[in-house]
Amino acid sequence: MTQSEPIFRLEGVTHKYGDLTALDGIDFVAEDNSYIALLGPSGSGKTCLLRVIAGFEKPDTGRIWFQGRDITDLPAHERGIGFVFQNFALFPHLTIFENVAFGLRNGALKISAAEITDRVSSAIEMVGLSGMEDRSPDQISGGQKQRVALARSLVLQPKLVLLDEPLGALDANLRERMQTELRAIRERLDVTFLHVTGSETEALAMGDQVAVLDKGQIVQYGTPEAIYDSPALSDVALFLNRFNLFDGRLDGAIFEGPFGATPVSSVRANTSDVYAIRYDRTRIFDADVVDLPGPALPVRYLASEYLGSSIVFLFETEDRKTVEVDHHLSLGEPRDLTVGEKYTLSWDPAQAIVFGKETAR
Amino acid sequence: MSAATPSRETSNTVRLLAPGVVWMILFLVAPIMMILYVSFWTQTTFAINSTLTLDSWKNFFGSEAYVGALWTTIRLWLIVLSLTILIGYPAALYVGLLVKSKTVSTILLVLCVIPFWTSFLIRVLAWRPMLGKEGAINIILQKLGLIDSPIEVLLFSELSVIIGMTQIYVVFMVGPIAFMLGRIDRNIIEAARDLGAGFGRIFWKIVLPLSLPGVVVGSIFVSVMVLGEFATSGALSGRKVNLLGNIIVTQVGSLKWAMASVVGVILTILLGIVVAGFLRIVDLKREI
Repeated sequence: MTQSEPIFRLEGVTHKYGDLTALDGIDFVAEDNSYIALLGPSGSGKTCLLRVIAGFEKPDTGRIWFQGRDITDLPAHERGIGFVFQNFALFPHLTIFENVAFGLRNGALKISAAEITDRVSSAIEMVGLSGMEDRSPDQISGGQKQRVALARSLVLQPKLVLLDEPLGALDANLRERMQTELRAIRERLDVTFLHVTGSETEALAMGDQVAVLDKGQIVQYGTPEAIYDSPALSDVALFLNRFNLFDGRLDGAIFEGPFGATPVSSVRANTSDVYAIRYDRTRIFDADVVDLPGPALPVRYLASEYLGSSIVFLFETEDRKTVEVDHHLSLGEPRDLTVGEKYTLSWDPAQAIVFGKETAR
Repeated sequence: MSAATPSRETSNTVRLLAPGVVWMILFLVAPIMMILYVSFWTQTTFAINSTLTLDSWKNFFGSEAYVGALWTTIRLWLIVLSLTILIGYPAALYVGLLVKSKTVSTILLVLCVIPFWTSFLIRVLAWRPMLGKEGAINIILQKLGLIDSPIEVLLFSELSVIIGMTQIYVVFMVGPIAFMLGRIDRNIIEAARDLGAGFGRIFWKIVLPLSLPGVVVGSIFVSVMVLGEFATSGALSGRKVNLLGNIIVTQVGSLKWAMASVVGVILTILLGIVVAGFLRIVDLKREI
């Protein structure tokens, strides 16, 4: 990725609602012209962060820089940052055309009627809604509303567009199509999208960069690959929903877990000792097999879920913890398992990620 | 289903509508028709008979006092309506939109209704000790040294009628507007801000159009009540302000049924025009 001027920068941004700290000293630098996914569980402060950047809320402390300018004290309508609301927030009394034209007609700049018509028409065409200009928002579908909301922001040619769970209100089918389309639209324009989502699949699929927000702090920022392959904290791993996590005790270079004691090569700093292995790196063996690739975790088979390209097997450990194994069907037919039977799970220890309280290593 | 269905549906519709229709015919349509009929009766000093004549109508439009009352009614209605909008809208804006907590806005609306816990007449009469020559306002202004002699125009004038009516009816404007404002999605206002619109633009382009149905409903309430008013003008004008309502009261009092009916018909037509006019501004069916 090329080095470019950051589009926006947050310096120690903190925001509290009463006693609740929604944002806790966030430092963040966003590259220009990129798709950034902001991933966080509900209550992590992700919507609050967007609202602070947009100017709907003022941070208690910290500064916000946008295109090299400190905009912390600038009111929302002077910031020139687009915002797409989860419920789209279209103006119900205006036509699609007038919705898109709103920012051009009512902004600080005086724009000629001919230019407004031109720009609005091309924005509507870009999102594929030509011919619907005269409809009112209650006459169009959810996906179309989403496009109008997007066109309404993009027509002002912002450098940064904030999207607050933009796909949350759409059904699964439409969500996938809009994912592709959002990326395509962004690539055509020189604009940065900051896309807030609670869905890890959406974040990993859409972002050039993914920022993980937890308890008001950005705990990890990197490419989807980096985050997927090496989550910085056990909470990130938990939230990615791709890892079997085992609590245990780390003692020097030995991790003691439900699978016995196993040597570990590297440890990441964390608030507790956790051993993580990806679902698709976990393998199934018969209970009596002895030449395992690594630790042996005795389990009981519960059920499987067929997902088209892969099968998810669910097991239960002796202390009643559910463990998942993801078998991709391109790797061959899965083995037949009997519900209730005992099996052994194992994996290559080199592929495990170990988090530990001891940060010495 | 067989071919009998449509006719059964029709008969069901008729049966469901019948009680309401009968009620309305007996107690609304019939009395109005009767008033219209009586307005053409012949009135003598002590009696009335059903010989049809245009005398009462000619009498009304020939008399400066009666036609003057019609214009006074329209003028006062327009003034009170404007004042209730001017005072009511900002109050509604505060209660319905600017107050963030729903609980607080409900409490504020209830506070608006508290004057209604006393009777209408007491609310009207309470203005006398407020506005009178030795009333609260004059005393306070004199004590503060702002005026030397009491302001006499405050009571028993058109002004006192306007003050009284505005105070009594403004809440009927605040309620519907606050309700419409409360229904506006806050995200819509934030979206408008985000698109670069300042406070004034957001008000004129978003908030006002979306609350217009509330203004129309409030205006209909206020108009219907103000146009038919007689008590406030009777109690606060010292008989100087005569509205159509006051004329009906005096004519009925002196058993001049025909003239009272003429005024009643004119008032009904006026109300019909006003309400129809307001309904043309906004399609209320869309809002329900």
